[in-house]
Amino acid sequence: MAALSGSELASRFVSKALEMGFSDVAVLVEDVSRVMVKFANSQPSVVQRWDTSVASLYLSKNRRLYTGSVVLDRLRDLDKLLHEISYVVDRVSESELYAPLPEPSRKAGGFSFVDTRVVESMKDPSRLAELVLEASAREHKVDFTAGKVDLWLRRKHLATSTGALLEEESTGVEVYVRSFKEDGSGQWGFSSRSLDEKKIEETALKASELAHESRGRSPVEPGVYDVILSPLVFSQLLNVVAWMSTGLSILTGTSIFTDKKPGEQVASTLLTVWDAPRDEKLPHSTGFDDEALETYNKPIIEKGVLKNILHNSKTAAKLNARPTGNAGWVAPRAWNLVIESGDYKFDELVSEVKRGVFITNNWYTRLQNYVEGVFSTIARDAIFLVESGRIVKPLERLRIADTLPNILKNVAGLTRDTYDVMWWEVRIPTRAPYALIRNVNITKHFA
Amino acid sequence: MEDLLQKAIAEASSMGATYVEARYHKNDYFTLRARNGNLIDSSREVEEGVGVRVLVDGSLGFASTSTLSIEGVLEAVRRAVAAAKRLSWLMKSPLRLGPGRTGRVKYEVPVAKSFENTPLDEKIGLFRELWNRGREVVKEASLKVMFNEYVESLEEKVILTSEGAYVRSTIPRLYFGYNMVISHPQKGVVQRWREFGGSGGFELVEKWRVVDTVVEEAGTLGRVILEARAPPSEPVEVLVGSEIVGLMAHESAGHPSEADRILGREAAQAGMSFIKKGMRGFKVGNENATVVDDPTIPGSYGFFLYDDEGVSARPKYLYREGEVYEHLHNRFTAAEYNTESNGSARAMNYASEPIIRMSNTYVTPGDYTFEELVEDIEYGVYIKSYMEWNIDDERWSQRYVGLEAYLIEKGELKGFVRNPVLELTTKTFYSSIVAKSKDLRFYAGTCGKGEPSQGVPVWFGGPDVKLSKIRLGVAPG
Repeated sequence: MAALSGSELASRFVSKALEMGFSDVAVLVEDVSRVMVKFANSQPSVVQRWDTSVASLYLSKNRRLYTGSVVLDRLRDLDKLLHEISYVVDRVSESELYAPLPEPSRKAGGFSFVDTRVVESMKDPSRLAELVLEASAREHKVDFTAGKVDLWLRRKHLATSTGALLEEESTGVEVYVRSFKEDGSGQWGFSSRSLDEKKIEETALKASELAHESRGRSPVEPGVYDVILSPLVFSQLLNVVAWMSTGLSILTGTSIFTDKKPGEQVASTLLTVWDAPRDEKLPHSTGFDDEALETYNKPIIEKGVLKNILHNSKTAAKLNARPTGNAGWVAPRAWNLVIESGDYKFDELVSEVKRGVFITNNWYTRLQNYVEGVFSTIARDAIFLVESGRIVKPLERLRIADTLPNILKNVAGLTRDTYDVMWWEVRIPTRAPYALIRNVNITKHFA
Repeated sequence: MEDLLQKAIAEASSMGATYVEARYHKNDYFTLRARNGNLIDSSREVEEGVGVRVLVDGSLGFASTSTLSIEGVLEAVRRAVAAAKRLSWLMKSPLRLGPGRTGRVKYEVPVAKSFENTPLDEKIGLFRELWNRGREVVKEASLKVMFNEYVESLEEKVILTSEGAYVRSTIPRLYFGYNMVISHPQKGVVQRWREFGGSGGFELVEKWRVVDTVVEEAGTLGRVILEARAPPSEPVEVLVGSEIVGLMAHESAGHPSEADRILGREAAQAGMSFIKKGMRGFKVGNENATVVDDPTIPGSYGFFLYDDEGVSARPKYLYREGEVYEHLHNRFTAAEYNTESNGSARAMNYASEPIIRMSNTYVTPGDYTFEELVEDIEYGVYIKSYMEWNIDDERWSQRYVGLEAYLIEKGELKGFVRNPVLELTTKTFYSSIVAKSKDLRFYAGTCGKGEPSQGVPVWFGGPDVKLSKIRLGVAPG
């Protein structure tokens, strides 16, 4: 007998589970091929290759929920797997979040976001690694460079008890680079569905330029400053906000929107942030969510007003809303983020600042309190003092220690140019401009 | 499975690999999640596959597959070797392998009360009890959210290397985490996120006193939100609770002692270290500053006896009486340091390369009782727990924001302090320790590192530590 495909295995599982008395069933099979060159000290440190086929499962019976994942091969022994699941489902209590799977508007078909150049480069990524290393060293004699080139081909097949049988094939690219020169360092990142060597080159050049310019750093005094955030930093903070904009975050007390309703002003009128699954340039774009609902672009925040909480059918039912095509069977999520651009050129944004700080990268954002959004994050790599509308000198590391509502409300300017970024600390692909935020609390160690 | 892995090693060796490591790795997780006493879902996630790492012409390749047939595994081997070969021309400084005491051994963690034989009702009952009792003890303010996550897991590994290592291990673990939100219309919100973890079976729930501990804390935080005052603005003596001391050991002794970090391998991700090569003996603190990493602690969350390169694990002094003493090594960094691996390579799952990780990292205890430490303080602050923390990417400037914290006056705890901020350098912390309690306690966490990011279970621990006078900040909000 010929081996069954991922879609066939998924469909067979759904049918058998319905026969056994489950009321809602969905199977998401993902076949992923992925190659990553990680480099450090200006040479590869490891090249990694993954080829995985994993089936994620969702079942419910009598309002009891089960989710799981197994390697695809385990789907071949249907009876054993379903009996194991039944044993659990028959013994757990009802879920307070149960809602039936929604009726899909489109039950069959496929989506494709494939760039064959990505697939070709996966066979031999050494040329891209060389490009990054060469470009890093081209204009500024950096001491060393680190980063990664990450390429993937992903096929997903979704079968549901509501009759959907959907497929999607997509490629993706994520590149980030960090270069070091003396006491300076710079980091930049890029992500896309398709291979863009010019952007990869620019990423490496930018990291080296920032490393070069941030040498000879001075300490900064703690206090309140106007702050310009690079697209990397703004994306990182908006990733946190996007995670907080999901229904499950609200229900589990991890959101600044816990006591907010759509329609309330939560940010500066300059700020519009989209969940953008249909932006085909960004690498987490997708045509359908895990409940087989078609995805669509929607503002999370529009002109400062909270417009949409991201839902699956369960969180929507619990919070008296409608699903938004963002499932996750239990946890909804944002797909891609697009922060709308503003009117400024970068130099014009700088000229708005009398006394401020320009931060190009950050990491380690942690919260004291998710509901009030009290957080701090550490600025790293190139940081600059801005005085009287000019970038004056590089600064040592510092922290932003403020609240997320303050950051959102104090957005005072955005650049026209935007950048499609991802890196280790930005896991939702984000298109972001530079942002000017007024009156931000800056700290550093006291002792 | 051993045969399959042996064939993988033979195949890679025949293709020119000078070192091969093949690992069968299965993680089986069963999770229950609940909100406000009610179950959200049950979940079972099984990650199972083989990861192969090869050294070819000084270039390192890793490949993994979830296809456990001989064809699937050999295909992964070929891909790892081919990829390493293709990158080898970019290696200015080819990677080398240092020595390590590899083993041929089987071991497993015993379980007193198995997960399978514990009724699901008993597990789910924990959530209801937490919610019901938690609501009762929070007076005036209200317990708005109690989110719980219960995860029982079994990690099984078989590791073979081309140099003869053979390690078969079975480690069951239990994790319990909660997020608690307490609010008051005028006073705002306090929030607590905490984790328990260890290796063993369901008996750990009783050992940890999960329900009593959480309920006691809910009652206390219900008072913190009502009563806490701003911390003193002048420098004061600070008694840092063991939970924070443990985290500091992890962040500011464990991470900067990872030799791969020091050598730059994580430079674009979690960063580097203030410790540079050749800084053994660097004075980082006073004679009270001793930090150990020990994967062999029975029942610990970061427990293992052999690492994922098949090397025997052992306790290490990272800092000893104020000096940088020993780094965490795998066999690759051992070569750069002309030493031998101390067994610190761990992989999260079959799809992850082994990298240098901590296990159970702690500040060693002292001679005082907690009461004696408090008695000696004329005016100060005791910070028992935290929520927000971070540290820079060289592990030098660190920040911890207290949650349950007390003013100390004339040797007694006198009411709560709200959100005191300890923001100091690593050297300041380890140089300011004037006394330590004799009570060593451990806390569970999941440490993230690597690309793709790998989360591995760890403990961090320490005694309560008294610091000489230091200025505290206060969190915004």
